[in-house]
Amino acid sequence: MNHIQLAFRNLKRRRARSILTALGVALAVGSFITLYGLSRSVYQNVQQSIEEHGSDLTVRRRGTAELFGGTIPETIAPRIAEIPGVVAVSGDLLSLAATDQDAQVLAAGWPDGSFYWQNVPLEDGRQPQREERKVALMGIDLARALQKHAGDTIGLLGEQFKIIGITRFNSVINRNMVVVPLTDLQELTFRPGALTFLSVKLAHPEDPAEVDRVSKAIEAASDLSASKSEDALRNDSMIGLLRAVSAAMAWVALLMGVLMVLNTLLMAVLERTREIGILAAIGWSRGRIMAAIVIEGFILSAIGSAAGIGIGVAGSHLLSAIPAIGRFVAVRPTPALVAATALAAIVLGILGSFYPAWLATRQSPAVALGRA
Amino acid sequence: MTPAPLISFEHVGREFDEGRIIALKDVNLAIDKGQSVAVVGASGSGKTTLIMLMCGIMFPSTGLIRWNGEPVTTSGAWTELRHSAIGIVFQEFNLFPTLSAIENVEIATFGTGIDRGERKVRAQTALMAVGLGARATHLPHQLSGGERQRVAVARSIVNQPTVILADEPTGNLDSVSGGAIMDLLFDLHRTGGVTLVVVTHNSGDADRCARRIQVTDGEVSEPGPMRVHEAAS
Repeated sequence: MNHIQLAFRNLKRRRARSILTALGVALAVGSFITLYGLSRSVYQNVQQSIEEHGSDLTVRRRGTAELFGGTIPETIAPRIAEIPGVVAVSGDLLSLAATDQDAQVLAAGWPDGSFYWQNVPLEDGRQPQREERKVALMGIDLARALQKHAGDTIGLLGEQFKIIGITRFNSVINRNMVVVPLTDLQELTFRPGALTFLSVKLAHPEDPAEVDRVSKAIEAASDLSASKSEDALRNDSMIGLLRAVSAAMAWVALLMGVLMVLNTLLMAVLERTREIGILAAIGWSRGRIMAAIVIEGFILSAIGSAAGIGIGVAGSHLLSAIPAIGRFVAVRPTPALVAATALAAIVLGILGSFYPAWLATRQSPAVALGRA
Repeated sequence: MTPAPLISFEHVGREFDEGRIIALKDVNLAIDKGQSVAVVGASGSGKTTLIMLMCGIMFPSTGLIRWNGEPVTTSGAWTELRHSAIGIVFQEFNLFPTLSAIENVEIATFGTGIDRGERKVRAQTALMAVGLGARATHLPHQLSGGERQRVAVARSIVNQPTVILADEPTGNLDSVSGGAIMDLLFDLHRTGGVTLVVVTHNSGDADRCARRIQVTDGEVSEPGPMRVHEAAS
């Protein structure tokens, strides 16, 4: 017999309580992985969606707290296109649009001749021709969900659009997006001449100095802010709020798990007062008694964390399977997040078991044995 | 030169409840290695307190306790002594209910620095010494009261202590089982040379010891002549 086996025996004595505690830790770890994974995935998916269109810089209204929050006039695009180092500029108008099947989908309006069109991977059908109206390209995941094919029609904001192509982008946002001519979306959303943001393609996107120079030139020439695509969401208040709320909930869940371990061990210590006195009577040192309690905390945390990883991964897939979420974000916790969360839960569980362990050694063996 | 006593009390007193209860008063006594000592007295007289002080489970309010002539004042030093030199047998058996007999014995060997295999061998040897070699895998609830106390005795001897302190070891047993436990303790004393200090209400058991210490209202006296049964060593 060793300390680990002894700890397992003690935990098995209160099997139901130990299982419930480990389950509590598992749910805490699972919640942490899912919620943190959600907030990170939102960020990554939006970034991937922008980059997939070939954009190097994102230009939007200065002071706008969220990416979709402000509008800019499309007349500014030609001025930015003239800045040295800029290869191409494309406007992009985004809107959530209700379909005739009562689904909310992300609709993007792209102008004729946008460099966006060059990067559209078509699964089926064709791209719209210049000046063609009331046509749509539909992302493949959305098409599957709505059972649409090239040649079908879809109602968007009360207007019928002919689906002329199915796109196969990589990012989950683009795979669930409907692309329509910019003019059509401007009319349907009562925003004529307006864009959500501009995407800029640079001649030398790999040169940070050049990127910085062009960004400053854009900002000098307009009342807009320009940032690299990966930075576009950094100051986005909605994304920031989502991340903060997710992080707060995740940490609360994790701390609740730790408190469960602490509570379980505290109860165990109080119930086993006499046994701890016996250990002291047969010569166990305070350190050894503490270690025995901490090992129990470690086992509860480790088992809970292992189960929590499964719950977290399963929870992430479940979240992604919910249409309202899955159309905008694929929740995929990274191995680093999973490992860090499990490790944090184990470390916190061990730390949480120190108090009951310390308490166990504080009591006099004579009192524990009922001799004083 | 005369060797120092194994255990000596110098003006030891023990109070409880901030001095309102005086359990022991100015105790001076010495127990030599290999002796057998009976501690007798009425309930509440201070016998158990005396034993608890001898093994450092309780600390004196006044005075000094020495082991082999060396003062023992820290809990760490007492822990080490309980681990290596003192075996304790309680009235209540104090076994761990989820551990088998051999595991209950082996648990006392944790931290001795010997490997797991050797620990198990020692535990099995101790169980065989108390006649429970065949019941090693039984849980406490599968053993009789006498057998449980034998396991407790095995646990007390597994680290080959210098002294066994037994606090009313037969108090929860019928007379037959109790007699067998006392026979076992005296056998260990006689054949192993272990010092034996037994708290008992049984005058017959007390008579088997070479010394008798009387505790009366916290005061220790030593009436009566020395008797037989000194240890072989």
